[in-house]
Amino acid sequence: MRSIEPSGVRAVRYLIVGLLVTCGLLAGSPALVAHHAGTMFSEDQTKELTGTVKEFQFTNPHSWIQVLVETTPGAPPQEWSIEWGSPNQLSRQGIRPSTFKFGTKVTVRVRPMRDGSPAGSFVGAKFDDGKTVGRWD
Amino acid sequence: MKLLGGACVCVLLTAALVSAQSQSRDALPDWTGVWQMMGGTVFDRATAKSEGGVLTRGQREQPPYNAEWEAIYQRNLKLRDDSRLPDPINTCGTPAGFPRLMNLPDTYEFVVRPEQTWILTENGPNTLRIYTDGRAHPAPEDRWPTYTGDSVGHWEGDTLVFDTVSMRMSRYPESGDTVLDRTGLVLSDAAHVVTRLRKVNDELMEARMVIEDAKALTAPWNVTKTYRRLQKGTRVYDYACAENNRNPVDAATGRTLILGPDGKPLGDVK
Repeated sequence: MRSIEPSGVRAVRYLIVGLLVTCGLLAGSPALVAHHAGTMFSEDQTKELTGTVKEFQFTNPHSWIQVLVETTPGAPPQEWSIEWGSPNQLSRQGIRPSTFKFGTKVTVRVRPMRDGSPAGSFVGAKFDDGKTVGRWD
Repeated sequence: MKLLGGACVCVLLTAALVSAQSQSRDALPDWTGVWQMMGGTVFDRATAKSEGGVLTRGQREQPPYNAEWEAIYQRNLKLRDDSRLPDPINTCGTPAGFPRLMNLPDTYEFVVRPEQTWILTENGPNTLRIYTDGRAHPAPEDRWPTYTGDSVGHWEGDTLVFDTVSMRMSRYPESGDTVLDRTGLVLSDAAHVVTRLRKVNDELMEARMVIEDAKALTAPWNVTKTYRRLQKGTRVYDYACAENNRNPVDAATGRTLILGPDGKPLGDVK
């Protein structure tokens, strides 16, 4: 079942496979939230939230980051629920339960819910030390 | 003694028959490893003409549906756009079903044995058993619709060719029957799938499916799914869908909900 082929042919084959894999990864990124259709989230809007991590639910079928966001000085913070991929998927990208520690200051970008509810689909996050997670261009 | 001798001959003949029909262990291909489907979980990417991914709205071209089933699909697309498609797997209680099983995120394993091949999906989890011991499908009166249906196959060189029937399909996603993806693709109980599964090279698996459905389709529908190998040592985990399902389906409206931190639905639930 094994064939011997010239190294040049093998290199081209690997290049093609590499391109296919890259295309697949790019096309596959929406599957991060795959347990349900994502039509409740605005796909053409990004909202930036700054607050502190209340909880990181590293659970199936989706992970959730609960962030307390200060909206008005002196007023109680608003809790946002931010949906992300499954721990199975995220762990293969280096994400761990400790990635979002309780009490950590963070700025998060989300695709917000269309109806204005305090929830969204995770895009990316930046911590005070400059470290970023997800898409942060 | 004669009886014993006869029984022995019978056992030997049966063993020889089974051995002749199933591939010997040494001749089986090596499909070990952990794999992941390439592309989003839209069932047939080749038919997408613009948007239509799991997170995006938009119209898609159809499979070769007849007029009746195209109308059903258009209805489902509208439900999807309104977050009201009652996708059975949102309930975390039933298998994805075949052929959706070939269209899932997370990992795949292809376990090849002489008498059976198993496709194990992390998402779900789901198991598809493909019998390669020479058996045929049960007679129509001896089978009933199940999520994964009944699959029997044989080897053509390194390609596993298998035939799947008796899947639990209908036009009504509300019934909990299998839908093929988030866009609301459905088939009828007459659906019949022939799949050619092979390893293209050490990095790529390919499943070529020919789907026929005399009630819903006007022509065979060809779909190809590919799977890339993940790095060596990749672990496969539990997928306990009910662990923290904050996206249940509201029974009254069919709407997929988002539950807030207090367990109550967020936003407009009507």
